Amino acid sequence: MALHFVRSPVVSSARALTARVIGFVLALGLGALVLGIAGFDSLHLGRQIIVKSLGSQFGLEDLGLLYTPLLLTGLAVTVMARMGLWNIGADGQFYLGAFVTTAIGLFIKGPEPFMLVLMFFAGAAGGALWILVPTLAKAYAKVDEIITTLLLNFVALLLVYYVATGPWRDRVSGTTASTGRVPYKMPDFFGSLHWGFVIALAAPILFALALRYTKWGYEVRLSGANPDAAHYAGIPVRRRLITIMLLSGAIAGIAGMLEVAGTVHRLQGGISNNYGYLGVMVAVLARGSALGVIAGAFLMALILNAGIILQTQGLTTSAVLALTGLIMLFTAIADQFAHYRLVRPRAATA
Amino acid sequence: MIDLKNINRRRFMGLAGMTAAASMVPWKVRQALAATPLPAVKEEDAIIGFGHVGPISDEGWTYSHHQGLEAVKAAFPKAKYLEVENIPFSADCTRIYRQMVSDGANMIFSTSNYGDLIYEVSDRATDVAWFECDGRRPADNLSGYYIQHWYPTYVVGIAAGLLSKTGKLGYVASFPVPSVFSGTNAFLMGARTVNPNATLQAVVINSWFDPQGAKQAGTALADNGCDFLFGIMDEAAYLQVAEERGIWAAMWNTDIRRYGPKAYVSSIVLDWKDYYVEQVKKRLAGEWTGGEETLLPMGKGIDRDAWGERVPADVAAKADAVRDKMLKEGWSPFVGEIKDAEGTVRVPAGHRMTEDELYNWDWSIEGVSGLKV
Amino acid sequence: MPASPSPRPIVALRGIGKVFPGVIANADVDFDLLPGEIHALLGENGAGKSTLMNVLTGIYRPDSGAILMDGKEVAFASPVEAIAAGIGMVHQHFKLVRAFTVAENVHLGWKETPRLASKSVLEARTRALSERYGLAVRPEARIDELSAGEQQRVEILRVLARQARVLILDEPTAVLTPAEARVLFKALRAFKDAGNSVIFISHKLDEVMEIADRVTVLRGGRKVLTETTENCTTTKLAQWMVGREMVLGGLREAIVPRSEAGRIVLALDHVSASDDRGRKGLIEVDLPVRAGEILGIAGVAGNGQRELSEVLTGIRRPDSGRILVEGVPLDDPSPDVFLELGVGHIPEDRIKSGIAPSLPISDNAVMRAYGEAPIAHGIFFSPKAADALAKQIADDAAVTIPSLRTPIRNLSGGNQQRLVARREMRIARLAIVAAYPSRGLDVGAISTLLHYLIDLRNQGVAVVLISEELSELFDVTDRIAVMFKGRVMGLYETKDADLERVGLLMGGQTQQTEAA
Ligand SMILES: Nc1ncnc2c1ncn2[C@@H]1O[C@H](COP(=O)(O)OP(=O)(O)OP(=O)(O)O)[C@@H](O)[C@H]1O
Ligand SMILES: [Mg+2]
Repeated sequence: MALHFVRSPVVSSARALTARVIGFVLALGLGALVLGIAGFDSLHLGRQIIVKSLGSQFGLEDLGLLYTPLLLTGLAVTVMARMGLWNIGADGQFYLGAFVTTAIGLFIKGPEPFMLVLMFFAGAAGGALWILVPTLAKAYAKVDEIITTLLLNFVALLLVYYVATGPWRDRVSGTTASTGRVPYKMPDFFGSLHWGFVIALAAPILFALALRYTKWGYEVRLSGANPDAAHYAGIPVRRRLITIMLLSGAIAGIAGMLEVAGTVHRLQGGISNNYGYLGVMVAVLARGSALGVIAGAFLMALILNAGIILQTQGLTTSAVLALTGLIMLFTAIADQFAHYRLVRPRAATA
Repeated sequence: MIDLKNINRRRFMGLAGMTAAASMVPWKVRQALAATPLPAVKEEDAIIGFGHVGPISDEGWTYSHHQGLEAVKAAFPKAKYLEVENIPFSADCTRIYRQMVSDGANMIFSTSNYGDLIYEVSDRATDVAWFECDGRRPADNLSGYYIQHWYPTYVVGIAAGLLSKTGKLGYVASFPVPSVFSGTNAFLMGARTVNPNATLQAVVINSWFDPQGAKQAGTALADNGCDFLFGIMDEAAYLQVAEERGIWAAMWNTDIRRYGPKAYVSSIVLDWKDYYVEQVKKRLAGEWTGGEETLLPMGKGIDRDAWGERVPADVAAKADAVRDKMLKEGWSPFVGEIKDAEGTVRVPAGHRMTEDELYNWDWSIEGVSGLKV
Repeated sequence: MPASPSPRPIVALRGIGKVFPGVIANADVDFDLLPGEIHALLGENGAGKSTLMNVLTGIYRPDSGAILMDGKEVAFASPVEAIAAGIGMVHQHFKLVRAFTVAENVHLGWKETPRLASKSVLEARTRALSERYGLAVRPEARIDELSAGEQQRVEILRVLARQARVLILDEPTAVLTPAEARVLFKALRAFKDAGNSVIFISHKLDEVMEIADRVTVLRGGRKVLTETTENCTTTKLAQWMVGREMVLGGLREAIVPRSEAGRIVLALDHVSASDDRGRKGLIEVDLPVRAGEILGIAGVAGNGQRELSEVLTGIRRPDSGRILVEGVPLDDPSPDVFLELGVGHIPEDRIKSGIAPSLPISDNAVMRAYGEAPIAHGIFFSPKAADALAKQIADDAAVTIPSLRTPIRNLSGGNQQRLVARREMRIARLAIVAAYPSRGLDVGAISTLLHYLIDLRNQGVAVVLISEELSELFDVTDRIAVMFKGRVMGLYETKDADLERVGLLMGGQTQQTEAA
């Protein structure tokens, strides 16, 4: 028997992390090699990414603005993953949060602080509303949530696209596929980085604390780990499932609200920037841990920001997309590889 | 002759008396703000950014701007250049421009109107000279620029009126924005000078670059009896439809006749080279101030393309006669009385529409359908 | 020790050691498995039996020692390699894919599975295997429709189909009815007679005496001895396992006699309920449970016991009939109502509903108490208080725990069961429903458990004890009810009941019912 790989079902976190780092480095190495062959100075590009993401005010602002929605969509997916459910619809809920926020911002007048609070809760409600049907279908008819949440993404996109190019189209500045500007704005605290970032960063921490230090959190953990045992323990599992799904939708909705009120200030066809789908990736990176979302979303934001930097360095969008994909692919492969051990059977003695 | 295309508002005002006899001039919709010019930059220290809406390879809008950039590069080879294509209408646009600024750009041309996605950065990067193509909100450090495309469009419209047998003209529209209103209106007005019963049907596909959508729209228009397709697309899809269906088509941006040589009539072709070179020269010299809105005239930034191979010589001649009149005499066809699609008189008899009005046209004339604000 | 040179062992373990954080699971274990023998592996809960077998089959890597097969050193990196070499294991907790059919499970991950095979081909192959090895299975049935015995046969078939020479069974009879166990033993003997070998882990000493040729006893991770079965008695085996003389029995003596019957605290009145597949699980059951009694439920598993225990604790809703607590009918019988009333429940299927295997021991230990002080304060949950309670429950259950943060699935099967039993006894103020509570427990632990149940009874708690072991029921109950096909066939005072009649009733032979 030669050297071969063997799968072990459980992986220690140290092992998983090491595999990730190796995968990440390999992806970078491979990317650098290809770029080098194509005539780019890969080392220089790499340095640029680090320096510009982390070493300049504008770079940090960009990073923070990407980090904000990813924290929330990643958390939204993770929240549901705690119940063993997949929210593939965070993108749609994001859109709805943005939609409701814009509706309120455009058509209701009021003092700014009041309006922002209103928009916050309305955005959360919009996201929750968008997952209501999948929630009820799951809770009462066991309809697979992956499909229902995914399908609603397309409906949300069409809805937003319709209002942005139709009834709410911007008639003032003529900006394409976009509504008028929402006059209420999340206050900034670091350049154009707004307080929404702080909210987004606090959210996973709050959720992790709630899981560990509240009765509700215990019930959610038990319901997620074994619904039969939770039922046996007297926990209303269905009600917990409903609250968790609605919470997940609300969190994604808040991401949409912050994107409108803090970053984009308008509703646009492409406002979600795929944050909902990227949230699924973040959740996978975070391996179901609310605090892991903080790290996972950071990595994802860094990758997206690197993509922007590379574009200004002369790489085409397709090359940047390919590089981003390469990193995600290698990370996913690394996650799998962490399960494997290289084994050399000991030589026969006796 | 004075260099008309680079005339700015102040100089233009001084020349106002000459306009009656003048040929087409770059029109300043808005004058430069009274700001001190940005300081001079050495060529070797200069970093110039270009941000495009589409791919450079589109053979259309973005390609034409890329040609402009190439001309600037040739004129100022020691400067450094940043060029980003496919910038979406999303917060990513803001991020990319923010990145250009942190890369040290002194000058940034946005070749599409991203509006406040740009202002988010430009308002904070006041030492950078900003340009927004088709932009309508100039600032101390930001100028808008566009082309007087309605004149060549009118010229091509005449040819369309002569070539169309059904008198039904089709238009593949991106968004209901002023460029599209002035385009459809000018086109139909040109056609009506030779066929008073001509009408124009527009289909909005909500994109500048969507071959599939443009193809569907073109097919639908042809099915509706249109035998001349026009539009404002960054690619050639509806030209191919026209070629297949054996009808006519006119295009935008560049010469793309090879996608439908038989159907090809002409194109509204762009040329940004001189404008870009001039602006960079000013910035380097420390003479640049923002706040302008410039419209490049026919012959100096915008024109009709050489006529297609199947366009009869007399048709071309008739249309070109009007073009000559515009170029030589500064003649404008956009004079009242003009009624809108509801029949209301919007331009009173005798009133010659100003370039500002043409640039911001947001209603359809009688005979145009399918476009709503 | 036989003087004649023994044949070369198929499998030999030499000095095996395995340490988990805070636990020495195996230390310096030697073990020989001879061709054509059934070799029993005995030991208390947590003695390291399952771990030793997991080391052998490549699930764990030993920290020290060597494994020899046919005299050659081997190291299996995974169970897949072990089975390829001819060693197959059927685990304490089955590892079948519940949503798949029997045929699919048999063919899963098997290199001889034909590519692109249709359902009918797989089923035909499975049928052929089933006949060859004398293990009756239904190839087209889905796993979740099967009884425990049937599932086990599928597991064994899976292993045998892969031409195993060594079959390891980890507590195979814990979930089997006596009839199913007899079928299993027959198959094992046939397997052995063909020159193969079996390692058989069990806590049922009678069984071991019946089926095994030799016995190896582990204690605290170390081997005590290996002995041929002829030289053993159950008493000796028990003694080797615990390391001292064990006083079993004394159960009857512990039961405090009552002058009068206790009041009826929990009662079913004409209750019918459906099982998981929607068929009649309970039919028109009348069952009064009195304070201060142990009411035994006798019957072959699968005759409505699961439904009975679940209806009695609010987990399953009856289709008709009433549940009365202290004479008052409950209008909304749900698990939390019974929790509130002080009704404990040791469930039949611990892994499925009694614990959340992936959660820490602490979280599992507080499942019944997380909602009240000191663990809960308003909406808050105190992990510290939870740990304290978990520690206490573990101490009471005599389970040593390395860390309360480790997932409960890392505990030995018996230790999980001990924790669940203690957790439920703790909350049983009014009643406790114990379904097969001694499953997976070692002899000592069973005795301790039964003593605890008697204590509860003596304190006035109503105890419902569901069991298949008639001797256990006759030892500790006050009354015995017999279930057959969802009905209560008879209810007797234990002192008046005779074993034979109960046995007949369990088989469905009706006699006239006597009032209790
Ligand atoms: N994966 C693991 N991680 C940590 N500890 C473990 C793990 N597996 C087993 N142990 C510990 O090793 C010891 C031996 O466990 P093992 O399962 O081998 O006992 P057993 O003899 O099979 O007991 P039982 O009769 O209860 O099944 C126990 O203390 C158990 O908690
Ligand atoms: Mg075990």
